[in-house]
Amino acid sequence: MRKIILLVVILSFAFMLNAQLEQRGFVRTHVGALIEDGGYSVLQNTFDWRLDYGKGDVELYVNPVFNYDGLNENLELNLRQAYFDIYFDNFDLRVGKQQIIWGKADGVFITDVISPRDISEFILPDFDEIRIGINAVKLDYYLGNSTLEAVWIPIFQPTIIPDANSIWFPEMPDIFTQSIVEDAKEPEKKLSESELAIKYSYLGSAIDFELMAAYMWDDNPTMHIYPQQESLIIKPEYHRLPLVGASFGKSIFGAVLRGEGAYYFDKKFMVEDFSVNGVKEKDYAHYLVGYDHNLFGVNVSFQFIQEYILGYENDFKNDEFSNTATFLASKTFLRETLQFDIFGYYGVNNNDALLRPKISYDFIDGFNVLLGANIFIGDEGNFGQYNENEMLYMKLKYDF
Amino acid sequence: MKKLTLMLLVLLVMGTVLFAQEITGLQVIENVYSRPTGNDQTADLTMTLENSRGDQRVRIIKQFVKDFGEMEKKIMFFVSPADVHNTAFMNWSYSADGKNDDQWIYLPALKRVKRISSDTKSDYFMGSDFTYDDLGDRQPNADSHTILREEELDGEMCFVVESIPNEEEQMYSKTISWVVKDKWIGKKKEFYDEDEDLLKILTVKEVENIKDYLVITISEMHNVQKDHTTKMELKNVKVNTGISDNKFTERMMKRGM
Repeated sequence: MRKIILLVVILSFAFMLNAQLEQRGFVRTHVGALIEDGGYSVLQNTFDWRLDYGKGDVELYVNPVFNYDGLNENLELNLRQAYFDIYFDNFDLRVGKQQIIWGKADGVFITDVISPRDISEFILPDFDEIRIGINAVKLDYYLGNSTLEAVWIPIFQPTIIPDANSIWFPEMPDIFTQSIVEDAKEPEKKLSESELAIKYSYLGSAIDFELMAAYMWDDNPTMHIYPQQESLIIKPEYHRLPLVGASFGKSIFGAVLRGEGAYYFDKKFMVEDFSVNGVKEKDYAHYLVGYDHNLFGVNVSFQFIQEYILGYENDFKNDEFSNTATFLASKTFLRETLQFDIFGYYGVNNNDALLRPKISYDFIDGFNVLLGANIFIGDEGNFGQYNENEMLYMKLKYDF
Repeated sequence: MKKLTLMLLVLLVMGTVLFAQEITGLQVIENVYSRPTGNDQTADLTMTLENSRGDQRVRIIKQFVKDFGEMEKKIMFFVSPADVHNTAFMNWSYSADGKNDDQWIYLPALKRVKRISSDTKSDYFMGSDFTYDDLGDRQPNADSHTILREEELDGEMCFVVESIPNEEEQMYSKTISWVVKDKWIGKKKEFYDEDEDLLKILTVKEVENIKDYLVITISEMHNVQKDHTTKMELKNVKVNTGISDNKFTERMMKRGM
């Protein structure tokens, strides 16, 4: 109800400004069924409404999303974004709920840590739907081809994780089944607990690059374990996560070479040592190299990603090095009305994978039908743990 | 006096020889390439794609182009269809030999500007019958040019020039261009595929004189093998309005028109 009131207030305010209104968005039906037993995994109808009001150098953007979940018979209104843009000669100011996306990686989050994620359906939704709009003040200062961006996030917003009864709820260590898990302790809502991030970016003929530093909270809670006489108490807690990072993109003989890396200070990791409540902190590095090319009309892209825990000790639950590879191939036919795509993740450590083939066709401009599959390979790891969730799905979408 | 008469005779003979010297195919194409088009241009581009059954799809783009001397920058904002609205594409092309274009795309869903592979010259632009290469200015020395003949086309005398790529593995085995004499503007162009069969015909339908610059405002590309066409129409063309250098930046790609 509060969201509806907020929406009405924002829209009324814009109409009062007698501003120019632009309405866009889409209507979509999304149906998915598990291959194993034919049970529906997704039954969603979505109305994504994008309202843009502009008057001079001030714009208001509101993006309410109405989502009807047929499995739970639940209608939900979500305000994905709602912000003001104020444009000046050399800088822009954006205030409100917004998605902020950094870095050069595709489908991997390294320096892209500003907007938290909604992974209630793992990483399967479109990426603009995975990222949660966050209340923030963003300032961009421009000097030629350079941009200096500063972001202040007054209130922490964690990752949205799947419900415990969801098919996307991740595998938990055995000790969790014998434990009492308390509610996560979130940072207090006060100025000293806010988040700050800055980024310098350059776009030019020779190279594009970004340098960033951020004083964030880890969007995922750390599980602190307190042994009791006959059981364990697990207290999830959020911790500060400072990091620095960089990324680049460069053309080489018509192809594009990309790289991105971040160094996280004192990240908390789960260990088997209960004397430290199952948690130790170590510095951590996360980086990738990527390559995009067009071969015989097929867009192909490869990425190799590595995560490295510095000062690693043998009682860590995570591996010292975690390696992942991604690939993408995409080709259009019939004057770009028919498109084939396949995107895949391969987890090297656990020999598991996620393959996402899809085919889409534009019947008329704006009306698109998409058929796809999510194929999980392996028995464990980020992707193999979901090997019973293989699915086929269809999306009908009308953009207006 | 004798010396003066002799000098005049020599000059007259030289002038006659120079005048009589035939223009080469390369010179014709270089004249087309270097024809002044202004320092900058703004236009609304409408592409109408029509298939053999007569079904039409329309793409609308707002484009800005500016000449920076050794470099030309172009930025395109996609207006319709709805699913590509607010997508922006930026291209920086260079006059230096062998230097590839730099290209970026801004997709509103991804909310970031992404450098893309420029090795897509032979890809068709937005599903039209124009490749990216067709839309750009191909450097004259990329091909060997021969004047086949001179003939009249729609009431104007034209050089008919055959151009064969110097490098192998090009999309077209050759092109034949009809270039209007003295105006140095193309009027028609035939594109031949790898088997040297006629693939496409480009016909210039309308040329406008805007601030003393000749601008092709309506053209049509007909794929004769698949029998579909793309009509390309430029509206609201403005030349030399002094577009700011800042128009061709990441900021504008994100902000839009």
